[in-house]
Amino acid sequence: MKENNECAIVMKGISKEFKVLNRREGLKGSLLDLFSRDYKTVTAVDDISIEIPRGQIVGYLGPNGAGKSTTIKMMTGVLEPTRGELLVNGAVPYKNRAKNAEKIGVVFGQRSQLWWALPLTESFNILKDIYMIPDQEYKDMLEFYQSLVDIEPLLHKPVRQMSLGQRTLSDILAAFLHNPGIVFLDEPTIGLDVSMKSKIRTLIHALNQEKGTTVILTTHDMGDVDALCRRIVIIDHGKMLYDNDIEHLRRFFGSYRTLKLRLSGDKKAQLEKLTAEIPECSVGITEDEEWITVLVDEEKRKVMDVLSQIQNSYTVRDMQLEEISTEDVIRKIYEDADRENGAASEETEEGSESK
Amino acid sequence: MTNSISKKRGLGFYLHIYRMIVIQDIKSKMSYRSDFIISTVGMIATNVTGFISFWILFRNFPSISGWGYYEMLFLYGFSLISLTPVQCLFDNNWSLRQNVFSGDFIKYYFRPINIFFYYQSEIFDVKGLGQLAFGIGTLVYAWAKLGIPVTVLAVVELVVFLITASLIMIALQNAAAATCFWINNSFYVLDLAYKFRDYAKYPITIFGPVFKFVFTFLIPIAFIAYYPSLVILRPDEIPVLTWLSPVIGLIFFGLSYKFWMLGVRKYNGTGS
Repeated sequence: MKENNECAIVMKGISKEFKVLNRREGLKGSLLDLFSRDYKTVTAVDDISIEIPRGQIVGYLGPNGAGKSTTIKMMTGVLEPTRGELLVNGAVPYKNRAKNAEKIGVVFGQRSQLWWALPLTESFNILKDIYMIPDQEYKDMLEFYQSLVDIEPLLHKPVRQMSLGQRTLSDILAAFLHNPGIVFLDEPTIGLDVSMKSKIRTLIHALNQEKGTTVILTTHDMGDVDALCRRIVIIDHGKMLYDNDIEHLRRFFGSYRTLKLRLSGDKKAQLEKLTAEIPECSVGITEDEEWITVLVDEEKRKVMDVLSQIQNSYTVRDMQLEEISTEDVIRKIYEDADRENGAASEETEEGSESK
Repeated sequence: MTNSISKKRGLGFYLHIYRMIVIQDIKSKMSYRSDFIISTVGMIATNVTGFISFWILFRNFPSISGWGYYEMLFLYGFSLISLTPVQCLFDNNWSLRQNVFSGDFIKYYFRPINIFFYYQSEIFDVKGLGQLAFGIGTLVYAWAKLGIPVTVLAVVELVVFLITASLIMIALQNAAAATCFWINNSFYVLDLAYKFRDYAKYPITIFGPVFKFVFTFLIPIAFIAYYPSLVILRPDEIPVLTWLSPVIGLIFFGLSYKFWMLGVRKYNGTGS
């Protein structure tokens, strides 16, 4: 299989099912559960096929419980797929967990993988030996790190004394230390301040450029996506909704405009009222909670028309008109998919949440 | 890009990594000085009170099931030593439940090394060393008082059976800890296994035939101190089974490891 040499990851028709016990309520119920064989099958990942060439940064997106973590767990060899063919660096990860681990780096959520009590430099030393990194490569890597961020103050600090930002930074540096072919980053910027976010994005970008590392990035932060990813894959309810260039996505939603408004009064209440008043547009609040956003499809209704409707019942203090943002595009895709799936999908959502 | 040749990781590699982690762990523990002192004092107090209750018992009953004071003291010292490895090297088993429950356990999958090793290597409990010193003191004292000749054979037997006993205790704890991969409230299982070690300090003959069977074949705590001590103390009345105990120890350890790793394979982790 020659093609695999160019692909870091190949997934063909991958599904993952979990058996979940149908739990009963109350004390009597939990006693009965002990002997119960009443399982239901929950499909966390449903027939996903992706090919990821080496050196690409892919944004792997989806709402909570969509199956992102499950996919990453399969790629890292923690879980065995129920069906389908999965190759990471040309090998089956579940069967070769340890071998696979040599060539990947993982930063999983906010869970630090460093030795909690040790200063970073000691953790690095242990990792150097675990991954058998040659002295010269190790030295070069640290120098390269130093050129990207000021690691000196981090090196002698025990991980438990670090701020969340410093810890995340350290975890990312640790994940790239053995120069792996693929790095999985699960929500690397969650909970960080703006300057730390941008520092981390710059770091990931530089490592990808310099070392040619393939990066699989799951995030809810569209800033991460805009800064790093050219390709995005979106899944929901375990199914793939979208896999293409981010530019293509923006073009696809080209007729959409985002109307940003600053109104007098309580935003939460306005959000609810506006959602009811203009059902054809999707209404939200920006991350910094400064603006109310109204996503308008110009093919259906003109922006000015919507604006004048709003002006009739609200005092508009400030407004901006923007091209559709990535965040809005993603939200739109989720919403459309939800509408299509309707009530039928609600059941699976419940089950896959905890997986 | 990455090295295509898979690197070999043998026993030497693991010993080296273990040494590195343990040295760092001890260093960082020493840096919390008051914590270190308090836990050392606590450990000494635990051992001293344990010994005092043992001593009071023997003031009232000069012999138990035909076992004299110094013989019992020997048994006591032997069990303390054999419990040291599980205390020092496998103490992280106590946190397994929280790690599995919270989903933090997933991080152990991401390194190219054995998961059981990686997990256990994280904690080295220094307090166990005090117990070791206490146990050795007790054992040597009892040995001298009993006037048993010190021969090369006796010492070799002692070491072999100490290792056997340690393996069985480790196996018990591994298996008990690994139940958390299947059941939520596994703390009680682990706590139970921990309490069993108290029984290891007494001659199995005091328990009656049912428990004698249970403690020999089902939960083999009789191998932790009783059967091995017989080899040194009463070489004439050793059950044949005793000579098998090193094998039994290895088998039990192997099984507990398999069971632990079965849990690892079964683990799904929580969402993040």
